[in-house]
Amino acid sequence: MIAHLPEALSLTFSWSVMLALLAGSVIGVIVGVLPGLGSALGLVMVLPITFGLEPAAAVAVLVSVYACSIYGGSVSAILINVPGTPQSAATVMDGYPMARQGKAALALGWATMASFVGGMFSLVLLVLTAPQLARFSLNFGPIETFALILFAMTTIAWVSHGSMVKGVLASLIGLFIGLVGPDQMTGQTRFDFDLFVLSGGFALVPVLIGIFALSEILIQAAFMKDASAPTVIEGGFKLAPWREWRIRWVTFLRSSAIGSFIGVLPGTGATAAAFIAYADAKRRSPRTANFGQGEPEGVVASETANNAVSGGAMVPMLALGIPGDGVTAIMMGALTIHGIVPGVYLFRDQPSLVTSIFLLFCLANILILVVGAGGASLYSRLLRAPMSLLMPAVVLLSFVGAYATRTNAFDFTVVIVAGVVGFLLRLNGFPLAPIIIGFILGKPLEMGLRQGLVMTDQNFLAFALSPIAAFLFALTALVLFQPLIKQAIRVLKGAPDGA
Amino acid sequence: MKRRVFGVAVLAAALAWPALAEYPEKDVQLIVPYGAGGGTDTAARLVQPHLEKILGTNLIVVNMPGAGGTIGATKFAQSKPDGYTLAFLPAGTAVMQPNLRKVEYNENSFDPVCMTIDDPVGVSVGPDSPYNSLDELIEAARKGEVSASGAAPGSFSHIGPVLLGRGYDVQIKYVPHEGGAKAARSALGGQVDMLADNVGLIKKFGLKPLAVLSGERAKTLPDVPTIDELGGPPIRLSIWYGLFAPAGTPQPVLDRLSAACKEATSLDAYMESVQAAAYTPRYLDSAEFKAFFQEQYRGNATLFQEIGLKK
Repeated sequence: MIAHLPEALSLTFSWSVMLALLAGSVIGVIVGVLPGLGSALGLVMVLPITFGLEPAAAVAVLVSVYACSIYGGSVSAILINVPGTPQSAATVMDGYPMARQGKAALALGWATMASFVGGMFSLVLLVLTAPQLARFSLNFGPIETFALILFAMTTIAWVSHGSMVKGVLASLIGLFIGLVGPDQMTGQTRFDFDLFVLSGGFALVPVLIGIFALSEILIQAAFMKDASAPTVIEGGFKLAPWREWRIRWVTFLRSSAIGSFIGVLPGTGATAAAFIAYADAKRRSPRTANFGQGEPEGVVASETANNAVSGGAMVPMLALGIPGDGVTAIMMGALTIHGIVPGVYLFRDQPSLVTSIFLLFCLANILILVVGAGGASLYSRLLRAPMSLLMPAVVLLSFVGAYATRTNAFDFTVVIVAGVVGFLLRLNGFPLAPIIIGFILGKPLEMGLRQGLVMTDQNFLAFALSPIAAFLFALTALVLFQPLIKQAIRVLKGAPDGA
Repeated sequence: MKRRVFGVAVLAAALAWPALAEYPEKDVQLIVPYGAGGGTDTAARLVQPHLEKILGTNLIVVNMPGAGGTIGATKFAQSKPDGYTLAFLPAGTAVMQPNLRKVEYNENSFDPVCMTIDDPVGVSVGPDSPYNSLDELIEAARKGEVSASGAAPGSFSHIGPVLLGRGYDVQIKYVPHEGGAKAARSALGGQVDMLADNVGLIKKFGLKPLAVLSGERAKTLPDVPTIDELGGPPIRLSIWYGLFAPAGTPQPVLDRLSAACKEATSLDAYMESVQAAAYTPRYLDSAEFKAFFQEQYRGNATLFQEIGLKK
């Protein structure tokens, strides 16, 4: 890697590449901030523009759009209670409460630093261990993936504020809508009621837009007293004092690691990673009670993890040619069109190019800081617009984003129905995050289970023969029964004293 | 009477002529029934910029993914046959899905314009697999020890092991996956034994190729024997992509498109990019492609009936 640094540097440090990087990061933040337009759509949008560029500049645009769009999603999650991208769905839980307490600038500061740390952590992992990690990830077949997703499902318990029953019900709604459409095990469609529009199933973005964005707007419209009032009063960008950072460094580290590994492994992706990291932080933090009320650690966990996924997901994409998630799949297609074909031979055949991709990815992460700090005052100025102007604009953009994902007019209907459902659920105190968790994890969970059953001739117990799966099953049980175990330990410890 | 018919014909020609002569006079939509970055999208975007230059118009890629490409293909089949909506369809969407499930289009819904890529399917195993030849793999399958990964039933990666099983009279356990990349992952990791997929993919993923299901060797993997050379059943399986217009598109428009396609696919820049992306280029003109398309469509109808996959 070091040997190819000079050549990579000469590839990277040219005016056109730097300009491309800056343009990409601005575009990335914008598509991230705007609800409905996310990383995937951002990459699709810039793809035609990259055709006219030299490969290094094209890669610069792509990686900066990717890295910065994930960060951008946190801005709208914090400021208007609407995740700008699916990856930031977990950021809403503590980001928006912080903004309501007048700490929007602080929350943006945490989110920006968290995104940077997560991205850099995963980059270091990518540079140092990509081939080894890629090989390790191949140990995750269908059975191991099933076990991993099952573990990820336990996060539902930790993001269900208030009523656990309502959380589980919400996740079942998500699970069910995820089942509509093609069943990859049989090649047939399910639950489509012979309606053509349902034969492709539901896409994530329209559902997310409806559940989070439209329902929030409906709530605002229904209960807002003064439509001319500005959304956030205090804005800008502020970093918390050092002692605040010091007590939360574990979360930065753990969430970075969680995000990177989820990125490397198949089946889950950045949205789930953010929730897993959030649940992990909440479980472990001494400030557990503050989670959901505006605890910076919640923002940190979610934003560190989702940005850490970017580097992680690039590991199997670059080293194996197997994209880690939907976004890296688009990235891979784009690279292929530019004659950079990810796969087992890329590191061998084009080492200086790989090194320059790493360098660009590093610069893109640094630009998160620049664009984040520089743009913060702009966002808050934008958000000082009256609600009666801002919210319709958000609705419009949301619809555009929902449509653009699949260019399918049916997705308008999906947004509206999901919006009304989300509105009713919010009114009745249902947590919304479990819907998204159920939706994104339900199908891969089922696929893993059924694939595993075919492989083991319908013997579920044989799943435990895989050491990785057995470990993950044990971890799942441990996490689920943790409250009971803690209680039991307390009783056992207390018993001799009492006797 | 005769004069009137002639008059009408002249009038019709006069009305139609300028429109056709100037085709294309506005932007053309190119429906790609899979998401951006996928195999179909990449194949489409490799030829798209060249076609734009030759036709002198914007060719706007519209990704309409969902349900094995049938959502986009249905929208496409329902669009106006004026040459301003085209589609880039993979074989699976064009000739397999309609024989597998109830969809709103069939072999008469499209006018084939040209084929651009035709990738033979190869039989491969993981890099650490104990099997080093097709014979060894089949021998193991005879003992019921071989599993294959691939995409949903009715996909090429499924038909491959089915045809091998029929040809050699062996049982191969099939584990469907959510797509080619995930199927390749399971073959690479050794969770399943074999994968039949296009040779480009086999090469890219570093799988161990054992045979090519074609009459001649693949340019992408020149050292790999064909199934004929190995004395196996004459299985022919390839994943092709092509440009289509909706049925009823005027012949002059089809001819213009077919000629543009021929010019684009013979450019050096195009050839290089296609080969770098590990696709096998193959050009068929409108008439040849139509015959090929119909033969494939009907062949699959029979095959799916025989193996019990028919809707």
